[in-house]
Parts: sequence; structure tokens; C-alpha cells
Amino acid sequence: MRAFGALLANTLRQLLGGRRVILLALMGLLPAAVMALLLADRQLAAADGGGREAFHQAPFTILFFIVLPVVSLIFGTAALGDERRDGTLSFILLRPLPRSMLASAKLLGAWLATLAVVGTGAVIMSVVLGLRFADWGTLGPLLLAVALTSLSYVSVFLVLGYLTQRAVLIGLLYAFVWESGMTTAVASLATVSLMRIGLSAYAGLVPSAGTYVEDLLGVVQPGAGGAIAKAVVIAALAVASVAGLLRYRDVA
Amino acid sequence: MTAPSPSWVAEPTVEVRAVSKWFGQKVAVSDLTCSFGPGVTGVLGPNGAGKTTLLRMLVGLLSPSDGEVLVLERDPRRSPGVYRSLAMVPEEDAVYGFQTARQFIGYAAVLSGAGPGSVERAIAAVALEDAADRPISGFSKGMRQRAKVAAALVNDAPVLVLDEPLNGTDPVQRAHLIATFRRLGAEGRTVVVSSHVLAEVERMADRVLAIVDGRLAAAGDVAAIRRAMTDIPYRVRLEADDPRRLAAALLESGVVESATVHGRILAVEAGDLAGLGRSLAPLARSLGIRFTLFEPEDLSLESVFRYLVRRR
Repeated sequence: MRAFGALLANTLRQLLGGRRVILLALMGLLPAAVMALLLADRQLAAADGGGREAFHQAPFTILFFIVLPVVSLIFGTAALGDERRDGTLSFILLRPLPRSMLASAKLLGAWLATLAVVGTGAVIMSVVLGLRFADWGTLGPLLLAVALTSLSYVSVFLVLGYLTQRAVLIGLLYAFVWESGMTTAVASLATVSLMRIGLSAYAGLVPSAGTYVEDLLGVVQPGAGGAIAKAVVIAALAVASVAGLLRYRDVA
Repeated sequence: MTAPSPSWVAEPTVEVRAVSKWFGQKVAVSDLTCSFGPGVTGVLGPNGAGKTTLLRMLVGLLSPSDGEVLVLERDPRRSPGVYRSLAMVPEEDAVYGFQTARQFIGYAAVLSGAGPGSVERAIAAVALEDAADRPISGFSKGMRQRAKVAAALVNDAPVLVLDEPLNGTDPVQRAHLIATFRRLGAEGRTVVVSSHVLAEVERMADRVLAIVDGRLAAAGDVAAIRRAMTDIPYRVRLEADDPRRLAAALLESGVVESATVHGRILAVEAGDLAGLGRSLAPLARSLGIRFTLFEPEDLSLESVFRYLVRRR
């Protein structure tokens, strides 16, 4: 357990210690900033349900379509990719630790780093809504949605980051072409969208999320239980895959 | 493996059995069989000979394409538990720049399950006390090497694999590290050290494996390898005002084995360099020939090893 804690702490230090985290933190605050700007519009703010409607449009879109995939991609691919690039992968591999422990610590570290950046922005975004309209119903569900989507993304990107040095480019194509484009344009593909795992949990907990969120979900059924199960299965598969890769793949 | 062979030790802790490794079309290690036991063994070879590939296979970072590697009778690829008894100093800069040396060595200790006091002992072993609380990012190459060595020593592993551990170290650091490796070997640990510098290996190791082009070129104690190297004819460049006559005289006297003339330059091969030196001046004087250059060509390690390979 001590070794797992040390691996986790070092991973967090690696991911959150560099200069890139400043840029990512600013990006993480973008949805909250947009939310605050929208609520400055008095007409919109005065309309019945206008605050929540505004919340579910531009800030929500920026959060789920841009901020979450990009931050998850950077941290997910860096968790093992940086170790390989910096030559420190051999340092952790030459230890008497189960490979599944190394993979779990890396996944948890990347997930917590993503949550720290994106979760902060999501909380501020909900708090802005809560303070302005005394509407606190989105805070918990939004955090859960961010947690589930980021866990799913980070799981996939962790594997990608170990497999290829072009993980960021491939991940960006995946996030913007597949997740934002294909699965939105073709309704039947929505069931295999990672972004919609969190969205389905959110829609299950916030029934009045509105038509915008319903449109985004497409054929995916709202429900937190199913979403949690999906995210956990994806994370478990990622840990098993990375553990296998660490065991059998050469470290040249 | 019971047949006596210089490449095999009596009580091996590390066994390399008919191991080959290729990357695509490139063969890095070819059908190599050898073993390592207590004491310091130097793995010697020119750059690109396959030393790093061999060492990375010993510790399980690379899998053999053919054959098997056993460390303490276990395959390191399948048993991460073997790393309680096996440590490596890799050639690459496997350090975290944001950590201090103490944090880095402490991190290695926690991950290796090392006991209390191990960090301070490892720091003392490489004489890094004064710099232990400074970030590694500000370290020189030699100090980073020492931090890496300390991280490998932290769990008192009985088998240590060190890939070019003296790279970048200054003479004082080098002497200290060599003394440390010799002490570890004398304690009964298996220490495998690679280097492309013959003099370093000579100072560190009791036994040497020479590798060229992925093959075992020679094995045995350092004296035996040295003896093998004296079989190589020395190449010497001479400049003389009548090189053809001088060449004929040298060949006739039997001092040189071959001679080639290019203009005023005479290139000769001699088995006994000192003998050539002694004979040349009187011979030239007796023939009335003036020579203005006597230059033994570089006897680089690479050329020595190429010779050993050709001789196989």
C-alpha cells in the first residue's frame, strides 16, 4: 500500500508540477467564465428557467466537447508516456511490484489530476448557477458526470499513451472527429461514446436537464447506475491492458 | 551446463542460455551463452556491440527473441518478485528532475520494499551526502549517475546490473564508484558492469566477457583477454626517404610481418612493437636511409574486438 501511495503521489507531482498545468487550469475555468458571462445578460437571467437553460448550452458544450477530452487526453497520455519519454519507465518497472499496481496507480493519478483541473471548473460553473438562482441541483450530478467521463477518457488515453508516441495527435482526432463528430451525427453510434457515459448519469439525476442534453444523449438511456458500471468496466479493462503491456512489451 | 567454459561460472546466479535478440532485420545479440556469479564481471565491447541489449535482457526489460535468461533461477519477465534481489543502473538518465536525490533514492526504497536506514546507507555508499537535498535537475551527469547507483543499491540486491555506470563521472567519482563496485563484488554479490573502456573494466572486474557484433568474442579473466590481444599485429606508419628499400630490409630481417608503400609512407605490421622500435634505427642507419616518422596506429578497443571476432 505504501508503494501504491508513493507511485500515486509521484504521478500527481509529475502531472501537476509542470508548466502545462497552468494552461490546462485556465482551460478548465473556461466553462465557468462563459457561464458567468451569460448570466451577466439581464434578459436571459430574468427569463423563467433561463439560468439553467444557459447552463446546459454553451458552458456545458465547452465542458464536455472541449475541456474534458483535452485535459483527459493530456494527463491520460502523459501518465505513462512521460515515463517512457524521460527514460524513467525502467525505474518503476525494475521494482518488485505487480504490473496491475503500476497500471492502477497511473490510472488513478491521471484521473485525479483531470478531476482536479476539470472538476474545479465544473464546480465553479455550478456554484455560479447556484449563487445566482439558488439552483444547486446540478452540482452533484455534474461532478459525477465529469468524474465518469474523465475516468472513461483517461482509461483509453492511458493505454494509447503507452502504445504510441503520437498519442496526443491520435487522441485529438478521436475526441474531435469521433466523439464530437461521428457519435453526434450518427445516432446509433452514441452508445459507444465515452462522453455520453457521464452525460447519461447526469441526465438520470437531473430530469429537467432539457432538450439540449436529451439531444446530445441520442439513443443512450439516462441512468447513473449503468453509467457508473460502464466507466468502471472501461477502467478495469484499461488496467488489465496496461498491466499486460508492461509485462510483455519490450522497453528499448 | 556443466562443460567447463570461460563464459560459464561454477555457481551462476544469472544464466544466459543460447540467447538471441533481433529488432526487425537487425541482430543485436546472436546465440549468446554465458553466466555470471559472485564478484564483478565486466561486459566489454565497442559501442553498438550489443552490451546494453544483453544487460536489458538480463533484467527483463527486453525479452529474448530466442533462448532464455534466468536470474536466481527465475525469468525476470514473468516474476517481478525477482526485483527484490535484482537491481539495475540503466544507461539512460532514469531520474525525476523535480525530486531531490534523497527523494529519488527514497522513492526507489519504498517501491523496492527496502528496510529502514537503507536510504542513508545508499547515499553514503556513493558519497552524495552533501548534495542529497538538492534537486536532481541541477546535477551534473556524474552526480546523476551516482544518484542512480544509490537507487540501485537501496535494497541490498545480491545481483546488480550496471550499464556504463561511469559515464560522465570525473576521475574522483570514478575511483570512488570503482571501489564501491569492487567492495560489492568482494561481499559476494553478482555485479555485472558494462563499459566500452578497457581500462575501466580492468580496474573493476575480475572476469571479462568481450562482446562484438552481438557475439561473445572472448571470456575469462582480464589477463587472459590481454594475452589474446597481444596476438594482434601492431600497425605502424613510417615515413622514410627510401621506403621501398627500408620495407625490403625490414621484411628480410623478420621484424615485420607485412609492409605496404604509399609514396614516402611505409605501413608495416609487427607482432613485437618494442622489437621493431629497437631494430629500426640501426637498420636504417646501416642502409643510409633517413626516416622521419614512427607512428603506431590507434589500437582502439573496437579494432581489437574486430580482430577477436575475425579470429573466431
